Amino acid sequence: MNIFLVALTYFAYIFIILMYAVKVIKIARLPVHLRWELYPVISEPKGRYGSAYIEDEREWRKNHGKTVRKGIIYLLKENLKFSEYFKSNRWYWLVLFPWHIGFILIIVFHILCFFGALVMIAGNPVAADSVYILGKIFYYGILVCGVISFITGAFGSAGLIIKRLADRDLRAFATPQNYLNYVFTLVVFLSGIYAWIFADPTFYQYREFWRGVVTLNPVSVEPATAAHIILFDMFLIYLPFTRSMHYITKFFAFLWVRWDDRPNFRGSKVESDIKGLLDKPVSWSAPHIKSGRTWAEIVTEKKHDEKTP
Amino acid sequence: MTKKHLKLTDISKEGDVQLDEVNIDELIPLPPPYDKNEGLKQLTDDQKVRLVNNLDGFSALALPKPKDKAEENKYIGQFVAGLKKLLSKENNWTFLQPLLLSLDYCARCQTCSDACTVYTASGKKDIYRPTYRTEIFRRLINKYAKSGGKLRAALGAGNIEINWGTISRLYELSYRCTLCRRCAQICPLGVDNALITRELRKLFSQELGWAPKELHEKGTVLQLEVGSPTGMRPAVAIDNIEFLDEDFTESTGIKVATPWDKEGADVLLLHSAGDILSFPASVIAFTVLCNAAGISWTLSSEAPGYDGVNYGLFYDDIQLARIVTKHAQIARKLKVKKIVMGECGHEHKALITVADRLLIGDLNIPRQDAMSFLEDIVFSGKIKFDPSKNNFPVTLHDPCNVVRNLGIVEPQRRILRYLCPQFREMTPHGVDNYCCGGGGGLSVMSDVNFTDWKVNVSGRMKFIQILEAFADQPGPEVGKYLCAPCLNCKLQFKDMFKYYGAREKSGIICGGLAELIVNAMVDVKKPFITWDEE
Ligand code: SF4
Ligand code: SF4
Repeated sequence: MNIFLVALTYFAYIFIILMYAVKVIKIARLPVHLRWELYPVISEPKGRYGSAYIEDEREWRKNHGKTVRKGIIYLLKENLKFSEYFKSNRWYWLVLFPWHIGFILIIVFHILCFFGALVMIAGNPVAADSVYILGKIFYYGILVCGVISFITGAFGSAGLIIKRLADRDLRAFATPQNYLNYVFTLVVFLSGIYAWIFADPTFYQYREFWRGVVTLNPVSVEPATAAHIILFDMFLIYLPFTRSMHYITKFFAFLWVRWDDRPNFRGSKVESDIKGLLDKPVSWSAPHIKSGRTWAEIVTEKKHDEKTP
Repeated sequence: MTKKHLKLTDISKEGDVQLDEVNIDELIPLPPPYDKNEGLKQLTDDQKVRLVNNLDGFSALALPKPKDKAEENKYIGQFVAGLKKLLSKENNWTFLQPLLLSLDYCARCQTCSDACTVYTASGKKDIYRPTYRTEIFRRLINKYAKSGGKLRAALGAGNIEINWGTISRLYELSYRCTLCRRCAQICPLGVDNALITRELRKLFSQELGWAPKELHEKGTVLQLEVGSPTGMRPAVAIDNIEFLDEDFTESTGIKVATPWDKEGADVLLLHSAGDILSFPASVIAFTVLCNAAGISWTLSSEAPGYDGVNYGLFYDDIQLARIVTKHAQIARKLKVKKIVMGECGHEHKALITVADRLLIGDLNIPRQDAMSFLEDIVFSGKIKFDPSKNNFPVTLHDPCNVVRNLGIVEPQRRILRYLCPQFREMTPHGVDNYCCGGGGGLSVMSDVNFTDWKVNVSGRMKFIQILEAFADQPGPEVGKYLCAPCLNCKLQFKDMFKYYGAREKSGIICGGLAELIVNAMVDVKKPFITWDEE
C-alpha cells in the first residue's frame, strides 16, 4: 500500500505535467493567425490611438516587453481575484471564487509539502515547536493552506452544484460531465476535511508521506489520509480531460489573441510565417473559391500555369 | 406571456418547427412617443411554403427549402466536412488558434449574456444568447470533427444531432449576431463568441456556398467583378464625384476638385461607394477638407479602389483576403505613402488590422484611420473654424469596428469637443458602446422581413440610448445630430429612423464626422448640414 501510494503520486504528477505540456505545445505551435484584437488592450501604452495609428516599429519593439509583462501581471491578479466575475456575475462569483481558491491553495499546499520534505531532509524539523524558523513557517503554511483549501473548495464545489442546478440558464448549458467534475472535486475536498479532522489534525502524516515520496522511502499513513491521497492523485489524472486548462489557456487567449497587436513588419518573423502559410493548399468546396490552389494563388487569382517558379 | 425556455438539443428538432417567435410586447419597452406597439412583419403564406422558416419567424437569408432528402443529406455531409476543415491548419490557419482557444475553454458561466444587446433587447430570449449558437456549434465540432467525439458525446459531453433542422437553423441564427464583440469583451476567460459565430458563417460560405446574397453575390463577388457592391463602375464613380464637386463649387463659390489616380500622392483616400450614393455629403466633406488642408491626396478609379468596403470580413476569409489584396495592389501601383480609410468601420478593421497579416512585402503599405486623419486636419491650424455654427445637440455613435475592435476612441472626441458646443456622450460609450444593430453585415441585409428584426431587436438598445442622449430636448423643434462615422451604421440608422419616424417625432438626423467639421468651417458660408436628409 505504501509503495502504491508513492508510485501513484509520481505517476499522477508526471501524467498531468506531460498532458498539460503536450496541450500547451499544441496550442503554441498553431500557425500565426490574422489579427483579431479587442480593446481595451490593458497593456497598450499608446491608448491614444489604439493600434490603428500607423505603427512605428521602433516604438513598438521598445514597448513590447513592457506591455507583455503588464498583461501577465494583470492576468495573474485576475486569476486570484476573479474581479470580472465579481463585477458582472456576483452570485456565481460567490461559489466560483471559493472553488478556485480551494484549487489554488491545494496546489500551494502540495508545493509546501514538497519543499517541507526537503527542509526535513536537510535536518530541520517541520513542527509547531521547531527551533528553526523555517520549520515553523512550513508547519503553519501547510496547516493553514490545507485547511482553508479543503473548506473553501468543498463549499465552492457544493455551491456550484446547487447554483448550476438551481439556475435555469446555467442548467441548460451543463453537461453530465460538468456535474461529475463538481462531485469529484467535492469528494476530494471532503476527504481532505475528513482526514484532517479524524486522522491527521496537524498534517504530520501528510508531511511524512511527502518525505517518503521524495526519499523513495514510503511511510504508512492512516486509511483516511491514504484515501485522500488516492483521490487527489486520481483527480490530477482526471484534470487534463476537463476544461481545467482554461486557467492557463486564458493567458494565451488574452496575450495571443485579444491583446495580440504584433504588427507585421517587413522582414519580420511574422511576415515569413505568413509567406509560408499563404503557400498552403486550400480545399474548401464552395464554388467561388475554386480550390486546389494555394492561398496566395487564390487571393491573387493566379492560375497554376501562371505561377512563377 | 410566459418565457419560452429552449434546450440546446431543440436546434435539431425535425421539420419546419419554429423554435421561438418575437412578440413586440416581450421586447424591452421604448419610451414615448415610440411606445405604440406596431406588429412585426410576418412571412407571407407563399414565403412560408418556399422558404425555410424554423427559427424565430424571420428570414434574413431566404433559404429555399430542400427538394428532397437527398439534397438535405448532401448539405449535412458538406456541413460535417466543413467542421473538419475549420480545424485544419491548411484551410483555416487564419483563425485556427483563436477558434480553438474559444471552443475548448468556455466555462458556460453565462456572464456574457447580459452584455449582448440583442439578447437583452429581446427580453432575454434563449435563442439570442451569445452562447446558444456557440455552445451548439462547440458540441457539434466535438462530436463530429474530433476523434472519439461520438463516444464522448454519448458518455455525457453533450450530444446534439446534425440534421437538416440543425444546419438550417444554425445558418439563420449565425445572422442574429452583429459580431459587435461586447460578449467577448466581458468574458473573463477570453472566449470570443463573435469569432465562433463568424467561423460558423465561414463554414457555410466556404464549404456549402451559402451566404446572404447582399454580402456575397451582390457584395464581394460584385465588388471583385465590377468594383463595388453598389454595382458602381469606375466611370460612374468618377461621374458621381465630379457632379458632387461641381455642385459644391456652384453652391458655395469655393472651387473644389477631386484628384484621380495621382501617382506618388501622400494619401490614397478609400471611401465606400455606398457613401457616394447614400451619404454624398461625407464624400464631398473629405474633398473640401483635404484640399483646404493642402494634403497631397488622390482617389483611385481602378476597381475596387474607389470602394473600401470588404464584406468578406463578415463571412468569408477568402473573399476578405481577395479584396484587401486588390486594395493594397492599387495603392502600390499608385505609389502612395499611405492608405487612409473613409468613414467606414468595417473597412478600418478589415484593412488596418485583419489584413495586416495577409499583406506581405511591398503590399503592406501603411494605413491610417479616418479619425486621426481628420483630427490632424482639424488641429493643423490650416483651416479656420467657428464652433458656434455647430450649436445644436450632437451625440456620437461609436462604431464597434473603430472602438472595440481598433481602439480608436479619442481623436473623434477631441474634434467634437472642439467643434460642437452641445456635444454629449451616450451611456455607455467608447469601447463599451452598444452596436447600432447593423453590425456584422446586417445593416446591408434586408431580405424578406429582416429589416423589422434589425430595427426592433438588434437596434433597439441603441435607439433607446440615442433618445436618452437627447432627453433634455426631446421634441422635433430642435434639430439633433447623431454623428456616426461609419457607412454601415448610418445605413442601419437610416432604416431605423425611417421606421420609427425619428426625424419627425424627435428631430434627429444622422450623418458623419467630416460633415460636422465642414459645417463649422468659416470659409463655408452656407450651412453644410441641411437637416433635410433622413
Ligand atoms: S463565453 Fe465566457 S462569459 Fe460566456 S459562458 Fe463562456 S466562459 Fe462564460
Ligand atoms: S457579438 Fe454582440 S450581438 Fe453577437 S452575441 Fe456577442 S454581444 Fe451579442
